[in-house]
Amino acid sequence: MPAEYAIGVDLGTTNSVLSFTRLDSEVPQPEAFPLTQIVAAHTTEALPSLLSFCYLASETEMKEGALDLPWVNGRSYGVGRWAKTRSADQPDRTVGAAKSWLSHAGVNRRDSILPWNAPSEVEKISPLTASQRYLEHLVDAWNLEHPGSLFGDQKIVLTLPASFDPVARDLTREAALAAGFPPDFVLLEEPQAAVYSWLNKQGDDWRKRLKVGETILVCDVGGGTTDLTLIRVVDERGDLSLQRVAVGKHLLVGGDNMDLSLAFLAAELFREKGIQLDPWQSVSMWHSCRQAKENLLAADGQDSEQISVLGRGSKLIGGTVSVELKRQVASQLLLDGFAPFCGLDELPTSQPASGFQEIGLPYESDPAITKHVAEFLNHHCAEDGNICLPDHVLFNGGVFKADGFRQRLLAVFDQWSGTSTSIRELSDNAELDHAVSRGACYYAWTKERGGTRIRGGVPSAYYVGIETSGLAIPGAPRPLKALCVVPFGMEEGTELEVASEEIGLVLGQPVRFRFFGSSVRKSDTAGYLLSNWESGELFETDPLEATFQSAEDDQTGYLPVRFESRITELGMFELWCISRKADEKWKLQFSVRED
Amino acid sequence: MRFFLAFRVFFKLIFNRSFAESVQTLQSEPDRITAPVKEEKRKAPSKPVPTQGRSEAITLLAALQREARLLDLIMEPLADYSDEQVGAAARDVLRDSATVINRFFAITSLSDAEEGSRVEAPENFDPQKYRLTGQVSDAESRSGQLTHHGWEAQKCEIPKWSGKQDSRNIIAPIEIQV
Repeated sequence: MPAEYAIGVDLGTTNSVLSFTRLDSEVPQPEAFPLTQIVAAHTTEALPSLLSFCYLASETEMKEGALDLPWVNGRSYGVGRWAKTRSADQPDRTVGAAKSWLSHAGVNRRDSILPWNAPSEVEKISPLTASQRYLEHLVDAWNLEHPGSLFGDQKIVLTLPASFDPVARDLTREAALAAGFPPDFVLLEEPQAAVYSWLNKQGDDWRKRLKVGETILVCDVGGGTTDLTLIRVVDERGDLSLQRVAVGKHLLVGGDNMDLSLAFLAAELFREKGIQLDPWQSVSMWHSCRQAKENLLAADGQDSEQISVLGRGSKLIGGTVSVELKRQVASQLLLDGFAPFCGLDELPTSQPASGFQEIGLPYESDPAITKHVAEFLNHHCAEDGNICLPDHVLFNGGVFKADGFRQRLLAVFDQWSGTSTSIRELSDNAELDHAVSRGACYYAWTKERGGTRIRGGVPSAYYVGIETSGLAIPGAPRPLKALCVVPFGMEEGTELEVASEEIGLVLGQPVRFRFFGSSVRKSDTAGYLLSNWESGELFETDPLEATFQSAEDDQTGYLPVRFESRITELGMFELWCISRKADEKWKLQFSVRED
Repeated sequence: MRFFLAFRVFFKLIFNRSFAESVQTLQSEPDRITAPVKEEKRKAPSKPVPTQGRSEAITLLAALQREARLLDLIMEPLADYSDEQVGAAARDVLRDSATVINRFFAITSLSDAEEGSRVEAPENFDPQKYRLTGQVSDAESRSGQLTHHGWEAQKCEIPKWSGKQDSRNIIAPIEIQV
């Protein structure tokens, strides 16, 4: 079946969205596909997004068919709106934030660990399985409506954070393939998708709005993560073209943190009134706080907003308690907490102290997004000690529905630019919740039909750890060096031989290499051996591993090899060991096992 | 079709011993026929036949109660509470009810004109769409002051319900904190 549709999938931390457009449309106009999901026991409804929650049902619910969908019966779990609702009254049975877990190198992502801290009678699932279930749901919902153009036959682009390391990318790809994505589906970084969405809206006008040499900061603040990307406008044979020049670190701070801290403040006010909220009420209050946040931070907002928690039983009015959130207090908490005015030289603090810490995920200890932006600019926009501020900024993510937050960031940028030209906002007017999937869909369309592409290659340089030989000192590890195997920006669909000294492999038993990445070391070439580096320059991910069997075993049990690295057309990283003696090669795999 | 199948099965039953035995087991274990097939993987789903076991009106009420607690609000005797108390509770319920109703019905005004402004109904207007009030003297009088802009649902998409027949009138379940 030839593909009929271009489809963009945004697998979000809290919301997943699917946008589609016909491949034969002359002007692509991606629209959100309504996603049928369980909204209550025995009840399904099509909503614009799939809530990324998974509820692990009890035996009774499963047998009753409470989680039945139009395409499957007797399932032991449910994803979507109802799963989120149940997270309030059955937190032990509800998986949330699977995406953050998928990129958390501190745990084994294939292990059944979620819900985190759930009691033993709950059959837990792995972050990988949870992600697979969300994607599977999208595939099934699509297939039900399109029996003649099944999902697996279409042109698909799936987005992920730019800051995902190679392992998290690998796992995302694995989950998608298992969910029924076609083998040729493409991964796209979310901030780039936001830019594509903007390009789609602008049509050819974008060339008038941007000039060669200008830079765009994409500031993507989602529910759980903040993702920063820098894009430069370059001249390519006389035509304007876009190049992604830098991506930021993986930052676990987002809109949910803001809602949570507002809820924290409200809970404090309730406590002053002598009212202790139960978990169910806390969740409903959290929901009210999200709404209140948007109202309080709106330019024409009220001076105060009432937060009510309705009575739990059927005595609704009698049981309702409420507190007044003052606009001034709330905006101080949210704006000064998450977007404080700060100098360009004020970097995030890293002491592990804050009310947002939760056991499990490594949340940022400093929630000040402006300081993280300052750090990003220091790393990626500094020339001779001076910081060249970006010319434009593109905001993305549900947080920016709160207009006050957007205004505050612009005000901070203004302060940074001082007397020179201020950073201008590229506004999109697209619904913020859908921009990423829309952009991904547009990108899938341009891949087939042609259009502006953002070039960039890999967002960081990669290294394998090489233990140096030398006299062993008892008790001290051998000094470690890092061999650059992929330079920053290596393009998709290319491969290169890594020039290096001879590396010996032990045959017949698993060999592991420690693996590192760096988004700040941009000039290291493949084969460059790094013997020391500053803390924070390199981040370590899961090791690479393979077991080598060779037909050419000369009884030494040892084989000299060289490395060859590839970035596939689909953006996946592969590292191969090539024998120097015979025509043999082996691919190294990421090992996400814990030691 | 079924007739021919029965015909064929009849003769096969008589002449084929092992077939007869398997039919015997099939008959004595009705579960084997009706037991749900364990989740079939990755097969393209087909559209199911909708089972209309419940009035959509009940499903609408259930949604309004579930997401906005509307029933709890309107079933409570108002005389017991002050206006302030009612207001505090109603604010959230009304907000959430509007969300539900807009999602299901996409409600819009029928007329774009400002209330209070002068408008005219078209010739041969649809009496369902326009209601003339006041002194409607002759058949020709169609213009006047807009007192209400009217409402219209742009769609009607009520969730699908698939529960058991005897629970079809349940709007909200009994809740027990264990």
